[in-house]
Amino acid sequence: MALLEVDDLRTYFKTRAGEVHAVDGVSFTLEERKTLGIVGESGSGKSVTVLSIMGLVQSPGRVVAGSVRFQGQELTTMKDRQLEDLRGDRIGMIFQDPMTSLNPTLTIGTQITETLRRHRDLSRQQARKRAIELLEEVHIPKAASRLDDYPHRYSGGMRQRVMIAIAISCDPKLLIADEPTTALDVTVQAGILDLLEELREEHDMGMIIITHNMGVVAEAADDIAVMYAGQIVEQATALDLFDRPEHPYTEALLGALPTLEGDARHARLTTIPGRPPDLIAPPEACRFAPRCKYAGMDDCNVVAPELREIRPGHWVRSAHPASERVAEALVTS
Amino acid sequence: MLKFVIRRVLWTIPVLLLVILMTFLMMRQIGGNPFRTSERAVPPAIQANLERKFHVDQPWWKQYLYYTQGVFTLDFGPSLTLRNQSVNDIIKQRFPVSLKLGGLAMLWALVLGIPLGIIAALKQNTITDYATMAFVNAGYALPNFLIATLLIYVFAVRLKDQTGLPTNGWDDWRTWILPTIALGHAPMTIFARIVRGSMLETLQQDYVRTAKAKGLRWRRVVGLHVLRNSLIPAVTAAAPLLGYLITGSFIIETIFGIPGIGRYYVLAVFGRDYSVVLGVTVLLAGIIILANMVVDILYGYLDPRTRDTRT
Amino acid sequence: MIGDRRRADFEATLLRTADERGRDAGAALRRASLWRDALHRFTRNRAAVVAALAFLSMVAYVTLTPWLSSLDPYAVDFSIAYQSPSWDHPFGTDQFGRDLFVRTALGGRVSIGIGFAATIAIMGVGILYGAVSGFVGGWIDNGLMRFLDALYGLPYLPFAIITLAIFGTVNFWTMVVALTIASWFTTARVMRGQILTLKQNDYVRAARAVGARWHRVLFRHLLPNTLGVIIIFVFLELPGVVLGEAFLSFIGLGISPPKASWGTLAQEGYTAYQTYPYIILIPSLAIAWLILSAFFVADGLRDALDPKAKQKAA
Repeated sequence: MALLEVDDLRTYFKTRAGEVHAVDGVSFTLEERKTLGIVGESGSGKSVTVLSIMGLVQSPGRVVAGSVRFQGQELTTMKDRQLEDLRGDRIGMIFQDPMTSLNPTLTIGTQITETLRRHRDLSRQQARKRAIELLEEVHIPKAASRLDDYPHRYSGGMRQRVMIAIAISCDPKLLIADEPTTALDVTVQAGILDLLEELREEHDMGMIIITHNMGVVAEAADDIAVMYAGQIVEQATALDLFDRPEHPYTEALLGALPTLEGDARHARLTTIPGRPPDLIAPPEACRFAPRCKYAGMDDCNVVAPELREIRPGHWVRSAHPASERVAEALVTS
Repeated sequence: MLKFVIRRVLWTIPVLLLVILMTFLMMRQIGGNPFRTSERAVPPAIQANLERKFHVDQPWWKQYLYYTQGVFTLDFGPSLTLRNQSVNDIIKQRFPVSLKLGGLAMLWALVLGIPLGIIAALKQNTITDYATMAFVNAGYALPNFLIATLLIYVFAVRLKDQTGLPTNGWDDWRTWILPTIALGHAPMTIFARIVRGSMLETLQQDYVRTAKAKGLRWRRVVGLHVLRNSLIPAVTAAAPLLGYLITGSFIIETIFGIPGIGRYYVLAVFGRDYSVVLGVTVLLAGIIILANMVVDILYGYLDPRTRDTRT
Repeated sequence: MIGDRRRADFEATLLRTADERGRDAGAALRRASLWRDALHRFTRNRAAVVAALAFLSMVAYVTLTPWLSSLDPYAVDFSIAYQSPSWDHPFGTDQFGRDLFVRTALGGRVSIGIGFAATIAIMGVGILYGAVSGFVGGWIDNGLMRFLDALYGLPYLPFAIITLAIFGTVNFWTMVVALTIASWFTTARVMRGQILTLKQNDYVRAARAVGARWHRVLFRHLLPNTLGVIIIFVFLELPGVVLGEAFLSFIGLGISPPKASWGTLAQEGYTAYQTYPYIILIPSLAIAWLILSAFFVADGLRDALDPKAKQKAA
């Protein structure tokens, strides 16, 4: 049984201008002890997807369709109280901005111990002891003396470590990290990613990492799902994705990465022209077509491509995946 | 924390001195020699005595110093119209009444206003929210003399037989009800709005999302994480409201015939009892300054960030 | 192949369109200004528009009614004293038989007049004090602010009362001065805050880097940007002043008759509220009308001039 099975998840937001299809039919499976990376640009729906899994989507948004099965249990139909029991205990989550994700008026210690005492039967002393152990596990120096400090006394990287400590405090089976390194300095990012990997090993967890940074996902993920405009447009193992990307969007993302060799010093960064579509009334067509190099005068603007398995383990949603392109490479650099 | 408190306390002293000075100077503009302006004729010998006793023959700055000394020893001098009473006596008689009225009004405002604000915020955009805020907003703009009049009209005139709430005097607890509501209504609306606004903002914060992601029970999330941070703005609103309570008390006391210091102040102005006016003004100013200090300290306690960064 | 050419065409179309699109966007940006944007946002805010209309209708009422009406507000006629609202006298008559519809309008002229005058004065004093303090900075700023802190300690009503007592009489202008003196502090503080934030702003630094003199920086750069805040503050201070004047009038320290303000009208009505409640009700409601509409206009203006603030909270 897979750790997490998401099937045709749809989350829509009711606004004055119409209903926004933020997540429009997302499906994937996560096995135990594996890491899934979800990449995409802002607005692609990656955060809303994991928030939907956790049941944390706030009004005016709501999950309108689909199923989310965690360890066999259906989450979309669970009552709030049951979800509350699950969150923080068997599923842990960390967010993008550690500065604002911690309560500034409570001590770090309180914020860790309250999670522990919520899900486990621990006395104050025991919880404190465990909290210190957790801080040490995430490599915070002088943990014992820092337990009663307030968040503003910690640096950004340390705050993120604290968030991680809180998330793994009850030994969850699934850890979701929403842009864990985006708000941090580049030098600190590597440390956090290493820490996440270390903990994943240690605690035997499955992990979902969301990012818009291809570098992060290349390093950390076993499998990668590329999202665009609320849908998954390509999904494969990390190796296969980087080796032989299929979807024009993925290619463009990879092509947009600055390189150190070659013409890089004299060339301009390749960007993808255009903007993501308005998700209020998604067109009955390929959503990437307006920005796609290969969208010709054919069906792309009329028919929405389905997600299909182009190779074993490699799925793509496009009418013009790389393997099928007859044309010579339109070089992206 | 202690350093912060001490610093804040010490700072009130120069402010108080400045306030006394300004009030004193203003009063001098009005009164001139207080004893000659009073209506009753005073035999010259006694007048000379009085003048010497109250340092009227000294230059103004010495008068100021004597007066300040008096203030800090809590001696505000004699009343100018009531021969046998000093300002202290008058204050002692009447101030506790006003204090009680103000206290009850503030209590009413907090006890009613904060929960209303919380409810409205938690049930945002539902009927409960709209109804609560409609009720709150309705009271906000109406001048308190109107509210007082309406209350009297409804409860003491129309519903006289059912409720029989008295509208005059300040004796047993039943006389306290209407004035308290009348005075406390506007602050109540202010608290309700502030709490609602700040709660709505806090509920959007990332750390609330984190708390939910940790699986904490909603009651705890609201009770601890949300409330603590939302109540801070409400606390800071309390101090200026004190000023409003003082202002409002003048009117409410007049309408309900309450023997408080506010009502007496107005009478003293008309009756040209300037030492009372001066003394009460300084007293009220002192209270406001003190209240501001308390609020600042409270703020420092509730929000640890200010402790470390405040000058 | 055909596909190649089509592809090339299509590509060209895509690129060209993006370029054109970019140019159009730039042009649009240049046309719109801050004010037009704000006006546009304001008019789309239904509550604000309603409030603005309410405010304007009140101003129209007080301005036009005495002008247009044939009723003499000073005519004493005991035979029609204490009449409830009717067609002839929409607001009824008072104890002297004077028509209250016109009297209330006249009272409004006084109240609103005092309100505007005092608000302008408050703005003037407050802006000057705050701008100087914020702009000059240093220990002068410190001293001015400490002084302001002390002033905050003076209770509003007693302060105003003492000021009136100093003047000896209560007329339009002494009332304006008294209210101004008691209320300018908040404006000064806010103005200083504005100036401080703007001083850090890059374009001010740029102006100074080019060598602009201080008064040019102050008037050409800083003040126009605080204009929005100033306008909002006008609508926030006005109700406070009108209410303050009403309070003072109610306790007997209002403008002497026969000139009346809403506050004095309310006070007159208070004596007879048990039998003729409308006499105190009407001017009080007028005050409330003004306060509420001004307040919601201020709210709308704030949203119009700084929409991000609302988005953050939304």
